[in-house]
Amino acid sequence: MRGVRVTINFITPEGDKKTIIANKGESIMDISHTHDDIELECACEGSLACSTCHVIVDPEYYKKLEEPTDEENDMLDLAFGLTETSRLGCQIVMEKDLDGITVTLPSATRNVQLKGSKLS
Amino acid sequence: MYQRLPEWLKTKVPVGANYARIKSDLRGLNLHTVCEEARCPNIGDCWGGGEHKTATATIMLMGNECTRGCRFCSVKTSRTPKPLDSNEPEKVAVAISKWGLDYVVLTSVDRDDIPDGGSEHFAKTIRLLKKKAPHILVECLTGDFRGDLDCVARVANSGLDVYAHNIETVESLTPYVRDHRATFRQSLKVLEHVKKIKPSLITKSSIMLGVGETDQEVMDAMKELRKIEVECVTLGQYMRPTKRHMKVYEYVTPEKFEYWKKVGDDLGFLYTASGPLVRSSYKAGEFFISSVLRKRQQELGVGSGIAEVRE
Repeated sequence: MRGVRVTINFITPEGDKKTIIANKGESIMDISHTHDDIELECACEGSLACSTCHVIVDPEYYKKLEEPTDEENDMLDLAFGLTETSRLGCQIVMEKDLDGITVTLPSATRNVQLKGSKLS
Repeated sequence: MYQRLPEWLKTKVPVGANYARIKSDLRGLNLHTVCEEARCPNIGDCWGGGEHKTATATIMLMGNECTRGCRFCSVKTSRTPKPLDSNEPEKVAVAISKWGLDYVVLTSVDRDDIPDGGSEHFAKTIRLLKKKAPHILVECLTGDFRGDLDCVARVANSGLDVYAHNIETVESLTPYVRDHRATFRQSLKVLEHVKKIKPSLITKSSIMLGVGETDQEVMDAMKELRKIEVECVTLGQYMRPTKRHMKVYEYVTPEKFEYWKKVGDDLGFLYTASGPLVRSSYKAGEFFISSVLRKRQQELGVGSGIAEVRE
């Protein structure tokens, strides 16, 4: 289903930048799961029961986001490598005013790499 | 970049009359199984039954929405799962007695949204099942009830024969792998309490390998289980259920699993099941445990897991 297109930049834990054209209304969680090259876990599928989709938002765009709910904050508190501009990816929904946003996938997240594999 | 699934982990696609029959029984009664929800690779094997095996499934009580979000598990997560079905205990008893089993495993989702964690619902299911089919041995795999030992006792006293609760992984990785509400020590307390209040019950736990643990950590975890007199342990390979879940750190070889089987035997577990596809509910283990339980019953001259059936 085509909607308003917005751009989102992901910085991977290895430091690579990937630019994705997404649809308005998709969450960062949704976007990462329709793009094989963006590795973002979401163990609880967006129900605010974990912190695995933790992302670091660039400060300019962080200000534009709606305040996190108490439930999101509770889970964010458990995230590894928490920063001042951290949010849960499942709660960030792409809107026109977020066009061009950059989010960093934290390297401090315990995303275990397959032993012996080459980092892509 | 993409590591292929090792040959020893490839399984058959589930087909056949038994599989279809179980599926239709479950759907007809609106029951769920962990087999489906957690995408167990052995589903074809267990549901299919076969020459010398009876077809079986592990029913998952209290719905298919869990309040927790563990990184390795594909069961749906929700902060507000649907309310309990008060007819579920009866339906489960109907389904299981229809399947003609002599050993059944029941499990459940975590229900942190319910004051007693669903322990009364679970206990009632066991009582009804035992009433309807007293000859069936019942194993239950429960959550930790947030460490509420009264809830644990409620289930332990319901008449079941084997009480299982999984530590899932080694102590150091628990905060990274399991939901934040679960802890290694809390899980040990659950198992320890069961043994304390009902020594005749067989207790059991399971560990997933391949999530980044060291050999020493696995050894320590197994020793902790032995310390609290857990009798059965199973070790299996973590397999990533979907892309939304944590990556596999290592595919542990079948030879290494054999090694852990030997470690378990040497540590004095009554039964150690260890292999890449081994899961908590493991058919061969059931044969062994059944014979142990029946022998104990004979010696005691009583039925297993004695409990007053109040229904």
